[in-house]
Amino acid sequence: MSTPETGSQGNGLPVVSVRDLSITFSTDDGDVHAVQNLSFEVAEGEALGIVGESGSGKSVTSLALMGLHRGTRAQLSGEIRVAGIDVVTASDQEIRAMRGNDIAMVFQDPMSSLHPQYTIGNQIIEAYLTHRPTASRAEARRRAIDVLDRVGIPEPAKRINSYPHEFSGGMRQRVLIAMGLVCEPKVLLADEPTTALDVTVQAQILDLLDELRRDLRMALILVSHDLAVVAGSVDNVLVMRKGVAVERGDVRQVLNSPSHPYTQQLLAAVPRIEISRAQRRAQLRAEREGKTTPAAAETPAPSQRSTDEEPLLSVRNVRQRFRIRGGLFGGATDFYAVDGVSFDLYRGETLGIVGESGSGKSTLSRMIMRLLEPTEGTILFQGRDITHLPERKMRPLRRDIQMVFQNPYSSLNPRMTIGDSIGAPLRIQGERDDKLIRTRVQELLERVGLEPSHYNRFPHAFSGGQRQRIAIARALILRPQLVICDEPVSALDVSTQDQVLRLLAELQEDFNLTLIFVAHDLAVVRQISDRVLVMRKGKVVETGDSDEVYENPQHPYTKQLLAAAPVLDPDAARAHRAERRRLRAAQPDTDVA
Amino acid sequence: MLRYILRRLGASVILLLVVTLMTFVIFYVVPRLAGRTTEQLATMYVGRAPTEAAIQATIKRLNLDQPLIIQFWEFIKGIVLGADYTFGNDVVHCAAPCFGYSFQTYQEVFPAILERLPITFSLGLGAAVLWLVGGVAVGVISAVKKGSIFDRISMGLALGAVSLPIFFTGQLALAFLVHDWGLFPNARYTPFTEDPIAWASGLLLPWLTLAFLHAAQYARQTRAGMLETMGEDYIRTARAKGLKESRVILKHGLRPTLTPILTIFGLDIGLVLGGAVLTEQVYSLNGIGRFAVTAIVQSDLPVILGVTLFGAFFIVLCNLAVDLLYPLVDPRVRTAR
Repeated sequence: MSTPETGSQGNGLPVVSVRDLSITFSTDDGDVHAVQNLSFEVAEGEALGIVGESGSGKSVTSLALMGLHRGTRAQLSGEIRVAGIDVVTASDQEIRAMRGNDIAMVFQDPMSSLHPQYTIGNQIIEAYLTHRPTASRAEARRRAIDVLDRVGIPEPAKRINSYPHEFSGGMRQRVLIAMGLVCEPKVLLADEPTTALDVTVQAQILDLLDELRRDLRMALILVSHDLAVVAGSVDNVLVMRKGVAVERGDVRQVLNSPSHPYTQQLLAAVPRIEISRAQRRAQLRAEREGKTTPAAAETPAPSQRSTDEEPLLSVRNVRQRFRIRGGLFGGATDFYAVDGVSFDLYRGETLGIVGESGSGKSTLSRMIMRLLEPTEGTILFQGRDITHLPERKMRPLRRDIQMVFQNPYSSLNPRMTIGDSIGAPLRIQGERDDKLIRTRVQELLERVGLEPSHYNRFPHAFSGGQRQRIAIARALILRPQLVICDEPVSALDVSTQDQVLRLLAELQEDFNLTLIFVAHDLAVVRQISDRVLVMRKGKVVETGDSDEVYENPQHPYTKQLLAAAPVLDPDAARAHRAERRRLRAAQPDTDVA
Repeated sequence: MLRYILRRLGASVILLLVVTLMTFVIFYVVPRLAGRTTEQLATMYVGRAPTEAAIQATIKRLNLDQPLIIQFWEFIKGIVLGADYTFGNDVVHCAAPCFGYSFQTYQEVFPAILERLPITFSLGLGAAVLWLVGGVAVGVISAVKKGSIFDRISMGLALGAVSLPIFFTGQLALAFLVHDWGLFPNARYTPFTEDPIAWASGLLLPWLTLAFLHAAQYARQTRAGMLETMGEDYIRTARAKGLKESRVILKHGLRPTLTPILTIFGLDIGLVLGGAVLTEQVYSLNGIGRFAVTAIVQSDLPVILGVTLFGAFFIVLCNLAVDLLYPLVDPRVRTAR
């Protein structure tokens, strides 16, 4: 991969070289070719990004690099050499000596990748002593403190005795990186290291990886589903699809002028933070008209609302208290998950709510749904106070407020056919005519881009994106006024995400829907929202017209979020990194997560 | 941490009180609800062939003519401070903790239990060590070698063992292993302090019988837990560090698996130490369980009550011990509560 003209730091021999690698799983239904004829090289100190959607074979490949395919049903052919060791043919003992010593791996989910019952010190020291059997325990401990310090764990000498649950997600990922660094490996392999993390934490971890590889002259293999994540951190990029490498080359070249149609398609699907709502809308409409959609009289763009129009939803100073149990006699302390939030939402509008985990954005949407009863404040829906409405009176109103949830895999009942799932709200609202229900459901299935004949299938027969379409159909069957989407696309691949977002935009126009769109991804929110609400720790830190907030953020937290958002242009990404460094230096008290 | 210990201790005291109340209700209130008169109730505590005078004396001794709340108070007072029973002119003092006084054998129940305690303890603790070590070992090997011959045979055996009651396996063992083939000496109890070897050899067969039943359950639990743990992300992390597979299994895999097993172990050992009724009966070991069986046959109510209470206390104590050990095993408990 390291070609002379890339001018990357790689000037030594390749530390990782993969030749003609194929990985096959034999199943009852025949062989599954997870990876086919894959070849690449990573030179000393080089950074390679491997990008692909789910099922592209990127994770299988990274596990194979570590020799972690052993003991599974995977069958390998071809050659993998890591630091001179042939991973395919080496003995188990040689592989163990390589793991952690020559090549270290950082995994996707820091919450579950550390052993909950041992201190982080114990786990790091164990890794060191495995490969340096002659070292004393005291020496290993000193080394562990060094690496913890290196990855930015404050007070490492004290924290070395802490257990994983005493750290946040970002800190745990730092610990895992420290564990990887302890034996000074030649290659660090990071498989989706930031997917489970918040945007600002993601930026911190990516910055750390970048810094470490430069300072320690390690090679870095960064595996991700997100092109924007790798853009600023790697020299070369390899795009995979269904087990085959479709394109590889210098990151600037691949991202600026992709040659393979799949790469082009992938790039087009990535939500761009720099594109405004209006631009996106115009683009979608143009595409839609270009297509042969039935020439239904297009409703004009939602008219500018007049100031005297009554808002559909009006939220005033709502607070939600949770009691945290604890104390000697079961005493409780109060914690406000949502703390004094107010906003108005008009018909046909989309309100984006952005925030990181713990910001209270999901709690807020549950309060509006009245799945939670607000502790304080008022919620007016269509001018009616629903703040403390009892469930019995709330039920008829539920047909007007519907919700689409984050996880399409767990929010559909696996034992109900999708037709029954979508039709259930109609039944609950008192519809008895089975034929009518069936027709309505099938119409809607077609409208969200599924086959009406899928009525009797079960959820497991559908992909994540299709399931989210089903969830959307279920939310729309009652023709609601307001739909709350809580992270509807965050569990989906980029191209699926794009399709679902397009669908939502179309449906909004066709059904004149009012949307609340809750998400942590700033770019996604910008594309769909007229106005945004930036939340942090239960409070609204900034609100306004979405273009205004994105182009001219006022609050430092909003600025920090925008600086942390991954961007596609490799040079812009590097500029952002510099900007983040500046922001961090300017505000040393900003919480490191 | 101190807070956690205090809360556990407090909860145990409350639990003991509740257990005492339940026992009291079963023995003193339920018969009345079933329509027994005070006299009939007293008759049950006198033993066989009661005279009118003896019945009246018993009513006085047990305060059966007092309101229920006073009766319960006296019941608790007896346990904590001891009680005095009058027989005509004689006064018998039942020292604290007074678990009752048998009017059939004229002895205090608690010392009678203590006397039999070493036998039950020897049986229970020995069997517990066997079933814990054996069950966990079989479970781990089965999980690691999932689908192997060993796994299939041991899990098949375990299923059988769980379904076979002790009075069946015990009798079989006696008939074949002891009488027909003479592989084991007959079960007998020799105090450990007198002759440790005789102690062990005399209890070997009861240990194995009791452990067989429990080990089966532990093996299945361990296997299931181990299979789940070995699929966790942190196991992959451990392998990625370059650890040997044995270390991955024994250090990283086993500990999370053992955590829930500790809870079951606390319950089981409490149950066995309160009297391994079936095993003691089958092998004629004079432990607490057999004491209870004899009392039931002779309808010696104070003894039944005493043994019930004693057994319940043991379960509570063993659970307390598990709760206090838990933070050592799982650090998350330390901060979570």
